[in-house]
Amino acid sequence: MSRPAFSPEGVTLGVGLVALGVLWTLSNLGRVEMLPVLRTWWPLSFVVWGALELADLAIRRSSGRQP
Amino acid sequence: MSTQSPDLNAPAPPPPLPPSAVVAQAAPFVRLPKSPGLAAFLSLFPGLGQVYNGQIARAFAFFFAWVGSIYLTSTGHEFPFAFMIPFVYLYNMIDAWKGSNAINQRFLGGRTEPDEDAAMESPVWGAILAVFGVLILFNNLGWLDLDRLARWWPILLILVGAWFVYASLQKRKAVESGDEPPRL
Repeated sequence: MSRPAFSPEGVTLGVGLVALGVLWTLSNLGRVEMLPVLRTWWPLSFVVWGALELADLAIRRSSGRQP
Repeated sequence: MSTQSPDLNAPAPPPPLPPSAVVAQAAPFVRLPKSPGLAAFLSLFPGLGQVYNGQIARAFAFFFAWVGSIYLTSTGHEFPFAFMIPFVYLYNMIDAWKGSNAINQRFLGGRTEPDEDAAMESPVWGAILAVFGVLILFNNLGWLDLDRLARWWPILLILVGAWFVYASLQKRKAVESGDEPPRL
């Protein structure tokens, strides 16, 4: 098995937490309604995660890394 | 000719060790990195065992599969999601147990299951995640009505069944050609 180029789940988790923090801050400042935004856009995390998994695989295949 | 008499003042040799003590001396105690029992116990809360194993992606997948199944069952989609709740719950515990064993196996220098390596090298996992996310996102944005597609869900069963048949045929070919040893 090739070593991962990066950790897709780690990046997804980090980006998700940053996004949640930004959203929560904006909600506290009264700029946005957090729950409706979350309810609509949460599947974007799956899209990002899946895309990162595919990108990771593509990078590993193109660089031809071996175990 | 003088015969050597045994020295009666010399200390007596120590008695032979029991076989179990010899084995313990030959193989020093190795502390394994993970406890499969603890992983399975933590999985009583789905995903926690995988977090213990450091498998964050699996932890998320099991947690959301469990919560999602409960949510969809409670919103009137009893079939098939009510059946998925116990399946996800039990499979999550088995997965945590197996994950811990695989980590210990790697720690001891053993090989992991070839299926796990193959799964990591396949684009299927990433593609499923992305497509699933796009479908739900489009549904949330009102561009797609998943309720209207609900009657077509058994097609998923057909696809999964066909995939199992295809994979087992491929494996059989690999065993026959000598690329992969048969499993006992």
